[in-house]
Amino acid sequence: MADAPVTTASVSSNPSSSWRQFKAILRKDIVMELRTFEMLTSMGLYTLLTLVIYQIALSQSGSGFDVRLIAAGLLWLAFVFTSMLGLNRSLVHEKDQGCLEALLLSPVDRPVIFFAKATGNLIFLLIVQALTIPLFFVMFLSNRPLGGAWWMIPIALVVGSVGIAGVGTLLATISVNTRGRDFILAVLFVPVMFPLLLAAVGATSAAVLGNPGYFAEFWRDIALAAGYDAIMLLAAFGLYEFVIGA
Amino acid sequence: MNARKLTWWALAAAAVLTLADFILAWFFTAPVLADMSLDTAGRVIGGKLIANPILFSQKIFYFHVPVAIASFAVFFFTAYYGVRFLQTRERKFDTKARIATEVTLIFTLLTMLTGDLWTRVEWGVWWTWEPRLTTYLIMLLLVIGYFVLRASVEDEEKRAVYAAVFGIIAFLDAPLSFAITRIVPSGSHPVVLRAGGGLDGLQLTAFLLGMAGMLLFGYVIYQLRYREERVKERIEALKAALED
Repeated sequence: MADAPVTTASVSSNPSSSWRQFKAILRKDIVMELRTFEMLTSMGLYTLLTLVIYQIALSQSGSGFDVRLIAAGLLWLAFVFTSMLGLNRSLVHEKDQGCLEALLLSPVDRPVIFFAKATGNLIFLLIVQALTIPLFFVMFLSNRPLGGAWWMIPIALVVGSVGIAGVGTLLATISVNTRGRDFILAVLFVPVMFPLLLAAVGATSAAVLGNPGYFAEFWRDIALAAGYDAIMLLAAFGLYEFVIGA
Repeated sequence: MNARKLTWWALAAAAVLTLADFILAWFFTAPVLADMSLDTAGRVIGGKLIANPILFSQKIFYFHVPVAIASFAVFFFTAYYGVRFLQTRERKFDTKARIATEVTLIFTLLTMLTGDLWTRVEWGVWWTWEPRLTTYLIMLLLVIGYFVLRASVEDEEKRAVYAAVFGIIAFLDAPLSFAITRIVPSGSHPVVLRAGGGLDGLQLTAFLLGMAGMLLFGYVIYQLRYREERVKERIEALKAALED
């Protein structure tokens, strides 16, 4: 919290001050993470464990089974679970150590808090994904060529993760104030994320498989996911003020 | 006419309309095959050769589709009263949103139940991941999530705010999930209300009667539940006043 702005300078309506507040909150999250590596270790380890469970799930499928057919789904499944873990943690920290109250007391715009927290969550999720993808390919797809173009995968990951981090931050801010916490987050998160995940898996799968016409399929699914992101981020942005103030 | 009387009239109208829908659908729309079995050869019905025989199961359409559309129409009020609550912070809007969600839950369950009966007969499976089925499952999960969320917040004010916010998000999510599940994988649910769709005048009449009846039923259930809740709230307030 030491990095949060304590100046009484003009609160809102000044874009440069909003930008400074945004940077301050984001830097706080990153500095906290760099000191403990708590989020990245827990999220990364959780993903690794998920991959180990995939090996159990696939152990009876035989060498003839083309894992590429379900690779995109497996990847996003791991990301969904690890992002729920990360989202919950990122807000539990704020809540339990009283940071959220302090943030609310400081002269920071509510939307700025939302965007800063969501960006922090997005960065952590992307780092975990960047570590997971090579590992996944080595573990499960080492003898299978990538069907499509490699650069499509990061695009799909970013578009999917923006929605997860954005709406996830809103839902985690709600769930952290309930009795069930992580359970409530799962109950709210999975159905709300369903359409986004379907589109993200479609896009990732198009890139991994590279079937005829995969290019058009990829961009169609990216457009759908981006549309979801736009609508839901706008809603989350508008509603965050009420949630955090409650 | 006061609200109480209006509710009873609406109930009567809903009963008459849905009954008319069922009678029309049952006796007067496309005739039923006597043996009620799949007939691959096709059959001449009303001077037309029907290659895909219209089965008895088709009649569930006159209940299933109205209740499905009504469930979504009622879900709109969850979001609408959610917005109203966030604007005004009046408790009654929270109660209204909650009851609208209860009605959505009933209608969604009825939609899934009748839909499942139909898919079992028509497609031979109890469940398939087809866009509309998937969307309704997601909608059911969203509505269940709404109530799970409510149950896990102690503070009344907080509960109302969170429920309102989640109700709005859930209402936005339902059409998105319909659009995306429809485009991403391939589906096989019959598309009925499109240009040049397969409903003749009588069938459309039956359908519209059912539609109006079901919306009225939604209104009646909503009104009765709302009145019950208001009485409950008043009793609570009186109890609290007595204790003081």
